Amino acid sequence: MRKEIIVCGLVMLSLVLASELIASQKQTLQIEGSTTVGPIADAFAEAFNSKYSNLDITVKKTGSGDGAAALVDGRCDIAIMSRFMKEKEYKKAVENGIFPVAHVVAMDGVCIVVHPSNPVAQLTTQQIRDIYQGKITNWKQVGGPDLEIVAISRDTSSGTYETFHGLVMKKEEMAAGVEYVNSNPQAHARVKTTVGAIGYVGIGFLDANVKALKVDGVMPSRQTIATGQYPVARPLFMFTNGYPKLGSMIYKFCTFYLSETGQEIIEAKGFIPVTNY
Amino acid sequence: MHLNTRQITDKAFTVLTGASVVLLTVVLLIVLGPITWRGAKAVIFKDTIEFRKMQFALYHRGNYEDLQSEIAEVHQFRDAAYLIIDEFKHGIDTDELIDESKQIYRQFGKELKYKGTSGAEYQQIRSLAREIRDKLQATFQSNDKQIIQENIDYILQYRTNGEFVDTAAAGFFTLGEDFLKSVENIDLDKRQEYAGALQKVEDIILHLLGPKPDDPVPALSMDRYGATRWDLAQKLLDQLLWSEKWVQKEADQPMIKVRTLRAEQFEGTKLEPLFGYVQSNLDRMMKPMPTFYWRYFIDDSTPGHYFGGVGPEILGTLLLTLLAMIFVIPLGIISAAYLVECASDNMAVRIIRMGINTLAGVPSIVFGLFGLAFFVLFLIPLFGGASKPCILAASLTLAVLTLPVMIRASEEAIRSVPQTYKEASLGLGASRFRTFMKVTLPAALPGILTGIILSLSRVAGETAPILFTGAVALGPLPKSLFDPTRTLSYGSYDIAVGDRLAMMVPHKQYGMVVTLVLLILCLNAVAIILRAKVFRRLRGN
Repeated sequence: MRKEIIVCGLVMLSLVLASELIASQKQTLQIEGSTTVGPIADAFAEAFNSKYSNLDITVKKTGSGDGAAALVDGRCDIAIMSRFMKEKEYKKAVENGIFPVAHVVAMDGVCIVVHPSNPVAQLTTQQIRDIYQGKITNWKQVGGPDLEIVAISRDTSSGTYETFHGLVMKKEEMAAGVEYVNSNPQAHARVKTTVGAIGYVGIGFLDANVKALKVDGVMPSRQTIATGQYPVARPLFMFTNGYPKLGSMIYKFCTFYLSETGQEIIEAKGFIPVTNY
Repeated sequence: MHLNTRQITDKAFTVLTGASVVLLTVVLLIVLGPITWRGAKAVIFKDTIEFRKMQFALYHRGNYEDLQSEIAEVHQFRDAAYLIIDEFKHGIDTDELIDESKQIYRQFGKELKYKGTSGAEYQQIRSLAREIRDKLQATFQSNDKQIIQENIDYILQYRTNGEFVDTAAAGFFTLGEDFLKSVENIDLDKRQEYAGALQKVEDIILHLLGPKPDDPVPALSMDRYGATRWDLAQKLLDQLLWSEKWVQKEADQPMIKVRTLRAEQFEGTKLEPLFGYVQSNLDRMMKPMPTFYWRYFIDDSTPGHYFGGVGPEILGTLLLTLLAMIFVIPLGIISAAYLVECASDNMAVRIIRMGINTLAGVPSIVFGLFGLAFFVLFLIPLFGGASKPCILAASLTLAVLTLPVMIRASEEAIRSVPQTYKEASLGLGASRFRTFMKVTLPAALPGILTGIILSLSRVAGETAPILFTGAVALGPLPKSLFDPTRTLSYGSYDIAVGDRLAMMVPHKQYGMVVTLVLLILCLNAVAIILRAKVFRRLRGN
């Protein structure tokens, strides 16, 4: 019986090796990076799979930093990132002979959300900063009910945190009492279930269960984010090594956002297309 | 000890152990119960016609003729709903009407040119058409019924004009008449308000019934179908019937949710009957049917896991787990054999032992980073492979992760084989190697199998070690060991952190988790049955 098992194993191994030789005729496209931009890459991949049958797309979502590192190491074709490359990453890339080119594929607004029962309708960035720094601890202080504020933030490694930290907190530190959660759905769920909560999520996560606040008098919407009136917005990037060869698959993928279908997809995924199509 | 105290302590011990078993069961039920309940909904649920449409389009399942006749059946009921909305919309959405009038004007101009009408006459007819168009547009934008009536009457007097009969311009008059009819029951001052409320109703209907048959097909499959599940359809119906609003009842208090009938917003208008109609005909519009979607376990999914199953994920998890086991079992047994049989108690061996114990306590993400640095970036390129995450690197990483567990379990098993067995074998003249292979190893096999079960469950559920070494969120089926793969553990992580889709398809997320639990149970069951067999053979039955 033992012999049979060994023979089976050998046959399987040889099959695997043989398939390796036959395979890889197909074109591949490796995409790696941000969990925020990931859904766009997923959806583009869906559209591309039905368009080009001879193409295999893989998407890895581990974070913007990993995307940059993978591009620098030559491990991926396109790095998807929710922030621009840092100076260090850029330098390392150039040293490795890789010249990152940024393609802005969409805009994302970071919306400040509260529980829908909260009568407060707007805050200034100063007030939000004070809340996250622990200077304002009760909704009464900003014109709301007598209710303690539960401040919820994303984890410090996320691109959403970085945007919020840079644009609202002005790089100042948050108070110790702030609660950290790991993802947009989690932040949404936490605000939805907590009456006194305040948090921030991408605009795609807005629904009837949470209420978006006006920031500095501007309501987050497609219009205000695209025109830059809403203060907490950011572009989403795809980075390639040099500008991709015209007509290549990478080129088609990175410019797909310019097509009508591409923009429709971006809107369907809850982001804001860069142009008015 | 006093006899009484002894009895009491004995009883207390029995009660305590019994209670802890009960507690464990309860905790298990609390943890696994809801997950299983929600996960089961991915497989057993009531589907709708939209689900069957999706299955046919994506996987070519079902009978084409049956499906078409079903679609025709539901469309009888859906068309009535669309008709109600369209009629109401005619009086509300003036932008569309204005566009339409522009279109007619352009068409009419082309027709005139085509007919070869002479210059002066052409100018004259065309300017008349423009006048009608402008009047019509002013009418659409007016809020005064008196003016609307007058304007339409004015326009309609041109209806019998020879220039307009049987031309595109006839469209002006039907447009005007229709508009007059549709504004009859509408309070025009509320038009803006209605437009906003109508938009919501249309959104819900779109989610419920999917795009209309003659609308352009959306780019993503998630937008191509209405509610594919009956529970979702009912949730949407509830949203359609009731509108929620948060109102401030008392100052300085949180607001309170108030539900009002949406029909009240449209009281007295042509849209009002829609709500009752949809409510009483929903099952005829959706055709719900209980399903057992067993193909969930073999189907591929659309990107983002909105539709489809977990087939590639199961395959990937199995591949990784079994491959890791192939690496770790021989390695673990050989190391354990060395530690028990060959190693003497010196400094080097003590350091090795300490190393193994430390390895067992290292967090799994450290193994992941080690795997990235050693296997992906160093070892595989060294042998000429592409430096990218792949199944081989991931399973090797998992093997390293679970090696300490395997070594410790095997070591204990081999150590517990009675010394007399070995002595008897050696006494008969067998070599040490032969003794180990023929006597010690078979006797230790049940213990080793326990070690395998433990490491198997650990390996199948790990996410962190494969995060950088071989798992992807989206990709084709692996064709060789040098391709990355999707796995159940990474897939559930991906759904949880990624997309707002996670909020729309919770059953998919829980389905994946339950599948993982089931898969580990199955693998363990195989190992346990094997162990029982070995055990029986050892006892000589």
